[in-house]
Amino acid sequence: MSITIIQVVLTVCIALIAVYMYIRLRSGGWLDIMLIVLFFLAGTFFVLFPETTNDIAHFVGVSKGANLFLYTAILFLFFLILKLYSRLRRVEEKFTEFVRNKSLEEAEELERKD
Amino acid sequence: MNDNRSIFVIIPCYNEAKVVRQTVTGVLEKGYTVVVVDDCSRDGSKKQLSGLPIYYMRHRVNMGQGAALQTGIDFAKRKGAKYFVTFDADGQHDSNDIPGMVEFLEKENADIVFGSRFLPGAQTNVSRSRSFALNFGRYINFLVSGIMLSDSFNGLRLLSTTAAEKIRVRENRIIHPVEILLLTASKKLKYAEYPVKIHYSAYSKAKGLKNKDGIRILFEIVLYKIFG
Repeated sequence: MSITIIQVVLTVCIALIAVYMYIRLRSGGWLDIMLIVLFFLAGTFFVLFPETTNDIAHFVGVSKGANLFLYTAILFLFFLILKLYSRLRRVEEKFTEFVRNKSLEEAEELERKD
Repeated sequence: MNDNRSIFVIIPCYNEAKVVRQTVTGVLEKGYTVVVVDDCSRDGSKKQLSGLPIYYMRHRVNMGQGAALQTGIDFAKRKGAKYFVTFDADGQHDSNDIPGMVEFLEKENADIVFGSRFLPGAQTNVSRSRSFALNFGRYINFLVSGIMLSDSFNGLRLLSTTAAEKIRVRENRIIHPVEILLLTASKKLKYAEYPVKIHYSAYSKAKGLKNKDGIRILFEIVLYKIFG
């Protein structure tokens, strides 16, 4: 089995992401660590044996593994944007309440002084 | 008979130093209680208001007109307001319309009265293109809220205590008028429209909504419908 440059690059990237996730989730339990290991093993497996993704793609009715990956990636990114946007709205609402309460307090204070 | 002091006129203000004093003075002359919510102006608007018998509040961060209105309504509620008027700072509204709106609200037993520049009896110098954009906007508003007003984006409104209690503006920026309409529908508030005078000056034209903002408004409405 010969390994191409892109396979090396992708494997290194997956390893770095796994390490980063591990550092971020250091306080996490065994489940988190298992998920990271699973991510690393699955990612590396599909990079080293890309033809297996074709089998999965054919199984679900997609012509190529790369296409299947693209479709799932787009769906995942779309989901992520929705999650981030709704979180942003919640943060903005909380921030607005904070600014509002502050100005209400200050107005009351100003009135007491007068 | 209403005591004008129990009618709170809420004026959101963002960088309106040139006109805000004139606007506020015009309202004060009628004996109404004025709440100016300064949305973090940087042009010395606060200085222009010095010495006037008003409630002055300031957002430490610019949050948008919708947020400023809600802050003013919250404050007026604390002060025991009987009626809440939303009023633009740029001088396009006329405080002479307020008594008629109050009378109309009481007569119609409504919870909220929307000012309209397009009803018979209204006076406006609105341009043809703006008129067209506003007309388009009212159909969009109808599609999303089920309420067909003659004027889709008029900032002059009168709210009863019931409306002020039930309407909570969460849209800080451009589409808060649409949100108020949506809440009027969803909270089953009784609404009415009243002809008002809108005077566009070169200043208010430069400051207010532009026709091209329509696209942004449409986009924001879609987002509001998904996430709001």
